[in-house]
Amino acid sequence: MSKVYLNGQPVAHPHELHEHVSPISLYNKIIGLLFVLTALTYAVSFASLGPASLMVAMLVATVKAALVVAYFMHLKYDERYHLFVFLGTIIFVGIFFGFTMFDMDARSRLNDEQETFVRIKEMENAGNGLKVGVDNVPERAEAIRKEVAAHGGPQHGGGHDAAAGHGDAKAGHGGEQAPHTENKDAPVGGKH
Amino acid sequence: MSNAHVHAHGDDEHNPHLAHHFDTMHQQAGAAKLGMWLFLATEILMFSGLFLAYFITRMFYPEMVLEAHEYLSKTAGGINTLVLLTSSYTMALAVRSAQTSNTRGIQRYLLLTILCGCIFMVVKYFEYSEKFAHGMLPGKYYSAHLHGYEVEGLPHIFFAVYFMMTGLHGFHVLIGLAIMIWIYIRAGRGDFSATNYAAVENTGLYWHLVDLVWIFLFPLLYLVK
Repeated sequence: MSKVYLNGQPVAHPHELHEHVSPISLYNKIIGLLFVLTALTYAVSFASLGPASLMVAMLVATVKAALVVAYFMHLKYDERYHLFVFLGTIIFVGIFFGFTMFDMDARSRLNDEQETFVRIKEMENAGNGLKVGVDNVPERAEAIRKEVAAHGGPQHGGGHDAAAGHGDAKAGHGGEQAPHTENKDAPVGGKH
Repeated sequence: MSNAHVHAHGDDEHNPHLAHHFDTMHQQAGAAKLGMWLFLATEILMFSGLFLAYFITRMFYPEMVLEAHEYLSKTAGGINTLVLLTSSYTMALAVRSAQTSNTRGIQRYLLLTILCGCIFMVVKYFEYSEKFAHGMLPGKYYSAHLHGYEVEGLPHIFFAVYFMMTGLHGFHVLIGLAIMIWIYIRAGRGDFSATNYAAVENTGLYWHLVDLVWIFLFPLLYLVK
């Protein structure tokens, strides 16, 4: 047994790293389980479980992750301190997610209380187009309309028989957008 | 101080892989492994930011996420899941070979792991090129509406999240492949044995983490309704 030194002094009972060599049969079992669980998630994704499907998928993924961490990454046999580092990280991820979600929740309640979206709607109706999302950005909407026009122009859909299906799909898009942006562009431009 | 050390070292004294600032091979391996776990902690925290972005997008635009995710290939994602799980298995066996001083085993299993990593990247290439061809790109590059795909809401945000998550993950796979090639070469030089395999084990830990991220990515992006 070799000796370990601390500040030049020999350590009486040094902490020894002990390796654990798992049998190959254990690895075979774990990979088998992982395949079965993958098939399970895949199958569940076709069943219509509604909101529960996210929970089920996350649960199965967590079990798979636990198997990988415990057996492939040896955390089950490894030093406790490595497990502490890993679980500590998971706790901090939980804090990160939790506090962000608290904020999201509080914000939506605040929006309800102060009727933020009612006011946004009123401002929109008053012609003050807000820069929220693609369709509300006049320049972006304009660019999309130009692109669509350059690709066959859905505004005058009659003339493109060869690309009828292609053009029609966009006709709805362009048609929807045109009145929106026209309404907004004019007053915004007028203000400046 | 160092004189006293040399006499006390025993077998480790002759190990050419023992750095002078460590007393024993065990101590050296323990330090390397702790460092690796701390690095993995930062990796988990980095990916968690992207997962949170996904959850927030999903919370705000549930219908859009459900509609947009139908354009991702479940089959390609499923194949990649199986390939990555298999590669984790072969990586674990490579580490086990190192633990039992089986150099040929390390090399064989590393090659299999590298092969799986390459298959993963090839499938990813086909997936990405399909998305590029359909204009399903992140942010301002999104142009699927010009290719006849109508997704209600803000699909360019979904594809931004999709490309950031799978892109960062794919980048990790590429780095992992490079490290495994390096470890393969070192194994060929006879660097690794039952007393010195920290490098193989840490490569394994990194590769398993890449697998872990994919275990969560796959159901969230490709499967969940």
